[in-house]
Amino acid sequence: MSNVQQETFDIIAKQAKIELDTIKPESTLKDLGIASLDAIEVIFDIEEHFNINLPNEDTDFDGGTVGQLVEAIERQLALKTSE
Amino acid sequence: MRRIVITGMGAICALGHDAPSVWKAMTEGVSGIGPLTRFDASALRSGGIAAEIKQFDPSRYFDEARLAFLDPLSQYALVAAREAVEQSGISFDGERASRTAVLVGVGVAGEETREGLYKRLYEERATRFHPLGIVRIMTNAPASQISMAHGITGPTFAVASACASSNHAIAQAALMIRAGLVDAAVVGGAEASLTLGLMRAWESMRVLAPDTCRPFSAGRKGLVLGEGSAMFVIETLESAQARGATILCELAGTGMSADAGDIAAPSAVGAAAAMSMALRDAGLAPEAIGYVNAHGTGTVANDSTETRALHSVFGTHAKALAISSTKPMHGHALGAGGALELVGTIGALRDGIVPPTLHYLEPDPACDLDYVPNVAREKKIDAAISNSFAFGGLNAVVAVKRMG
Repeated sequence: MSNVQQETFDIIAKQAKIELDTIKPESTLKDLGIASLDAIEVIFDIEEHFNINLPNEDTDFDGGTVGQLVEAIERQLALKTSE
Repeated sequence: MRRIVITGMGAICALGHDAPSVWKAMTEGVSGIGPLTRFDASALRSGGIAAEIKQFDPSRYFDEARLAFLDPLSQYALVAAREAVEQSGISFDGERASRTAVLVGVGVAGEETREGLYKRLYEERATRFHPLGIVRIMTNAPASQISMAHGITGPTFAVASACASSNHAIAQAALMIRAGLVDAAVVGGAEASLTLGLMRAWESMRVLAPDTCRPFSAGRKGLVLGEGSAMFVIETLESAQARGATILCELAGTGMSADAGDIAAPSAVGAAAAMSMALRDAGLAPEAIGYVNAHGTGTVANDSTETRALHSVFGTHAKALAISSTKPMHGHALGAGGALELVGTIGALRDGIVPPTLHYLEPDPACDLDYVPNVAREKKIDAAISNSFAFGGLNAVVAVKRMG
């Protein structure tokens, strides 16, 4: 597991108060019981932790998986390094 | 039960500075949405768009001494209230003064004043504030200013329920009249909160559309904020007839409910409960309704939820309803929303023109009703409802009927 994935899963587990090993790359936030403002808060915590901005397109809470979220974070981190 | 009628209407928003201009723009399908001009919005992720009031010169309405007391929030409310009072021809002499209420729905407060002061405090390290900050910012300022301007001494206060504030205010006024506490009310809503701080706060909730507001349409990306005020004079039918006033329509009923669920995510059950209650209160069968001015914010969640609620309340008649959201025109004006939308609803009743839902691209399977896309439609409307569903799970619906 990459560091980004590990750190992202830690943030999700903490916010959703769930065990770390219940989070799989193919889970959606909805599957994990994280909806509405809780999901928005998870994204905010991730943005603060990595100091990135995640566009709304990368935050599909219903259909998007946690794995896709990690990819979006990695994209934003790569953009930041290249700047 | 005392019947209540609307005899005056005033409005100011991105579409115009009086009710006839606002209504005309609604029938023409004009959008007031554009890039924010009041402050540098280039850093906003959400695109920095809103439905701002443009070319408003407060000195046309207020002298300098008075203006010092007025945040734009109160300026807009006073402009709309003056128009409504003038149209109704009502005067508040004698007993009428204490037998009239002033109720103004406000979702936020005098934000331009507040942020201006905080900017001085935190950025410029000012140690002295302008002394009129409090009286400009306070949420009840518009209600107080209207009572002062017109010499109205009856029950006067603000009603706050975020985006449902206007409709809750109208419901409160109607209940006061029915209870016999007052015979008339100056009622509506006001909002002026297009500030960088508030825009940032909305942006972080991920509900602002970067492109535009397209309710019920596939491809909708969220809401676009607006501002302004609409105010009405409402009174008993008896009072209006005794004065020989022109009656715009009947305020037939209101319905209110709370979701008691999520603080932000809407509930079809709560929305349907408020609509059903408004119909029952108005003594109207679902089939009697021809037009629904929807809450229709343009968020994915609101519009599909509201559609489900409409299906549950109206059954097979849902497909026969003309439904539109006028928010792509005047923006989501929060506490002023329901009042501005009632201008459109009354216009539909009086002129037989249904204002359109602008910026509609193509159907979303989750929104399968007739939303009067993009172009206004001629249709005789005998009765209509106007929906407002707020963050906090608070819902308020107003039902109106054509007179004669």
